[in-house]
Amino acid sequence: MTMWSRLRSWLRVLLQRSRVEKEMDAELRFHIEAFAEDLVRSGVPRKEALRRARIEFGGIERAKEECREARGISFVDGLLQDLRFGLRMLHKSPGFTATAVLALALGIGANTTVFTVFDAVALRPRAVKDPDRLVGVYRTAEGKDRRAFSYPDYIYYRDHTTTLSDVAMWSGGTNVTTPDLSVANKENVPRVAGALGFQLPQFLKVGVQRLTCVFVSGNYFQLLGARPAAGRLFLPEDDQSGAPPVVVLSGNFWQSQLHSNPGVVGSVIHLDRVAFTIVGVTPVDYLGTLSRVPVLWAPIAARPPLGDATRESLENRNVPAGIVYGHLKAGIALPDAQEELKVLAEQLRAGYPDERNNGVRVISERTFGSIDSEAWPVVAATMGAVTLLLLIACANVASLLLARAATRRREIGVRLSLGAGRRRLLQQLLIESTLIALLAGAVGLPFAWWTLHLLVVEIASAVPSYWGAIALQVTPDIRIFGYTLLISLLTGVAFGLTPALQALRVDVNSALKDSGSMLGQRLSKSRLRDLLIVVQVAACLVLLINSTLLLRGSQRALRIDTGFDSKQVVHLKMLPMVGDSQARLSDLNRQLIEEIGSLPGVTAVTQASRAPISGGNRFAPVWPATEEPPVNDAGEDKRPAAGYSYVLPNYFETLGIAIARGRSFTVQEAETEAPVVIISEATARRFWPGQDPIGKRLVIGSVKGPAPNPGETAPFSPSSEVIGVVRDVRSLFLNRVDQLYLYLPLSQARQWASTLLVRTSERASSLLLTLGGVVRRVDPNLPVVLAPLDWMVSSDPYFVISRIGGILSSIVGTLGLFLACLGVYGMVGYSVVERTHEIGIRTALGAQRQQVLRLVLRESAQPMLFGTVIGIAVSAATARLISAILFGLNPMDAISFAGVSLLLIAVALFAGWLPARRAMRVDPMVALRYE
Amino acid sequence: MDKQMELLQGTLDMLILKAVSLGPLHGYGILLRIQQISKDRLEIQQGSLYPALYRLEHQGWIASEWGESENKRKAKYYRLTAAGRRKLQTEAEKWNRMADLIEGILGTTAEEV
Repeated sequence: MTMWSRLRSWLRVLLQRSRVEKEMDAELRFHIEAFAEDLVRSGVPRKEALRRARIEFGGIERAKEECREARGISFVDGLLQDLRFGLRMLHKSPGFTATAVLALALGIGANTTVFTVFDAVALRPRAVKDPDRLVGVYRTAEGKDRRAFSYPDYIYYRDHTTTLSDVAMWSGGTNVTTPDLSVANKENVPRVAGALGFQLPQFLKVGVQRLTCVFVSGNYFQLLGARPAAGRLFLPEDDQSGAPPVVVLSGNFWQSQLHSNPGVVGSVIHLDRVAFTIVGVTPVDYLGTLSRVPVLWAPIAARPPLGDATRESLENRNVPAGIVYGHLKAGIALPDAQEELKVLAEQLRAGYPDERNNGVRVISERTFGSIDSEAWPVVAATMGAVTLLLLIACANVASLLLARAATRRREIGVRLSLGAGRRRLLQQLLIESTLIALLAGAVGLPFAWWTLHLLVVEIASAVPSYWGAIALQVTPDIRIFGYTLLISLLTGVAFGLTPALQALRVDVNSALKDSGSMLGQRLSKSRLRDLLIVVQVAACLVLLINSTLLLRGSQRALRIDTGFDSKQVVHLKMLPMVGDSQARLSDLNRQLIEEIGSLPGVTAVTQASRAPISGGNRFAPVWPATEEPPVNDAGEDKRPAAGYSYVLPNYFETLGIAIARGRSFTVQEAETEAPVVIISEATARRFWPGQDPIGKRLVIGSVKGPAPNPGETAPFSPSSEVIGVVRDVRSLFLNRVDQLYLYLPLSQARQWASTLLVRTSERASSLLLTLGGVVRRVDPNLPVVLAPLDWMVSSDPYFVISRIGGILSSIVGTLGLFLACLGVYGMVGYSVVERTHEIGIRTALGAQRQQVLRLVLRESAQPMLFGTVIGIAVSAATARLISAILFGLNPMDAISFAGVSLLLIAVALFAGWLPARRAMRVDPMVALRYE
Repeated sequence: MDKQMELLQGTLDMLILKAVSLGPLHGYGILLRIQQISKDRLEIQQGSLYPALYRLEHQGWIASEWGESENKRKAKYYRLTAAGRRKLQTEAEKWNRMADLIEGILGTTAEEV
């Protein structure tokens, strides 16, 4: 009630200021005149009466001022005045304002970014029905506790649980090909790829589309309480084998590519030549339990027809099929469900003793990611790092303000001596810093938005999809804006208070005489500020050294000698559809090889099951046929795994891989799948050190080796003769030479993941268009990946990690360097102002300019050097951790360590030199005259 | 006539509330009413009256309204609000208790200790 009336009266003051003033005037005038009239009535002459009335009343202006204060007018007044004054002061020193705002904006932006990601991962509940009761059920085995269940196990849990109200499964996803959607085949080439300095291979634009498709059980959408945007979502009967094949479209695809046309519901779409009916559309951005929006949703029953699994593999209890989700029944706590499912797991183990160890773990799936105990240190470190960044930014701005307060000491002294209230002065200094903070918040928010976009959208999409990149929904919302604002305000108060209080401790007399520091008097030097400089210099040195190592390492990767010639070779990979027979693929390949081989400029065409450094690595166990293969105590096969590829006889010649001993395959050997093999030199050294490997025999694979992919068969040969040895290359991973590698003859029966390698006498990229034309002529519906072999380096995970890691850490490191320089700048500036008098005396006594400069810089140089030493020591430790992805670069690389350290010191000294110049220019006469 | 007494610290608010509780008054009227009730034994600084009025109004204990004075002039009239009435009551009780207490202490004789 009184709160409200007070607010109303303030509002009235704010809005009707002049009326309030006028009323106050009228009221006081009335009082004096009424008083005077009373006096006139008692016989005093009118003129004298007015005079006496005024005297009796006392100071009218003072009364008015007290009235204003009583109504809170003067508070509002002062606030507005201080605000205007603060803005003028900020405007007057744009350099100071810009640096302070920028430093804080960086801190605030970084915090908002991390907070947003943290919120999206760990705090924001999933957009599903009853997220609090949603749980994920995972298989635990061999110490790993987040594994997928087989399909029969899922059925068992679904049918027997009494603690979960419904149980559904998400069964992974695949890419499917369709010729039916004649939509703009927009290539999603992330812009960031250009910034990262490498190209991503592109799909050739032909009449087919590759779409991502995920598989879920028929009750999945019911469990999550999803509502369709059009048509209907899946029902349990859609997921029976033999049911008519159906798919659901994502709202995003429907909206962006099909213009939200409701007519597509009910229409037929061919996926890998299988006809599916589109039964419905999910809402836009519907994620379910996924991390990125797929294009299509299909029932698990559609996996076999789409070639993602076979009927047998889905029925096999040893083949993981997917993650199980359920809803806790009302009144059931998570541990109860865990207990019950453990019992069910034991029943399963008893019923199927042959099956792999099947533990079970129930985890709340309320949010996108429940943060495991193992992940907490990383999360805590990241949050700690950005909090530290903000702290450093605050400390720096505080030291800037301190330096400024020192120069304003006289002004404050004058105002204090003229009777300004300390509270009012404090208020004014606080308002100035709050203004800076608010400006920083305004800059920090778009900065955070941009970083989020860069981090989550651009980089996540640049990462090869088989990494399972996380694409969270991190659209900034009002809460995050509030968070930014709160941080900026707290920051404003926090960093504004220190210098303000310090400024107010000013002794009026000494401030006016400007003898703040006497000769030889040790300044009240802040140890905290020294420590902050040490931490800043060390932290940003660690970041900068590591980022330089990573960038130099990944640069090296681009020039690394892989052992094969990739410069003038084009990589053309066919993406077959299910239902393409080996015979048809063989036909296509032969036709393409013929047509491409006759192109002008093409010197050779070869075919292989995989190209070097292009992913698709395959491994098989291998051992000399004459020796007893190693097994462990449990009798399991412990032969080493060798990488392998099936190649045509001219493979080595086309890629420029020299044959060290023996020969390549003959055409006949290739066609008949003769039991012959060509090995790498490293393989020969491993199995037959010091002997001639030609003529020796190898056991490759095993009888029931698992197929690497549906449709492929694993190699098996009980005794293959070594007919050739070729030079070592880096074909599996860029960062090391292949340890064991086998080349097997490519027959017409092994055409699945076929890659053509085309050697040209011109630049590889100039051949791309021509090759695309040939592909379209041979089969306009054939999806292919077409790129110079050089570009395929981007699919090497170590390369991408080192590139992205290097770029990210150099961004953060540069920010840190900037902040550290601000700190040094502020500190030196402060000390110069503090010691102007002392410097004046020194100069008067004959000190040289150089000596003065050294004097001023020495104070900041100490913590800087200390920080550099710590930074180098820490970097030496972290460099060892990343040595695996440095592509042979020495982790103690001198250029990175010495170069970056020297650069940092130079930049920091420069930051100190700027204000130190002022010390050199101190005129002894002027400095001393203040006395 | 007794010698005029200076107002005790903090009592002006209570007196103003009491004065307007008897009926709406303008500032000068309040001054006259207090002097009249106290039979001119209280000395009130006229200049301090208005800040007190503004403070009381700001706190919502009195409300103001422009009206016409006895001699047909525009004047600002103050009246007690409901919250002000409650405030006056509690302040008066507090004052009475305090006065009793002080009186009791001052009236103590040596034998009673």
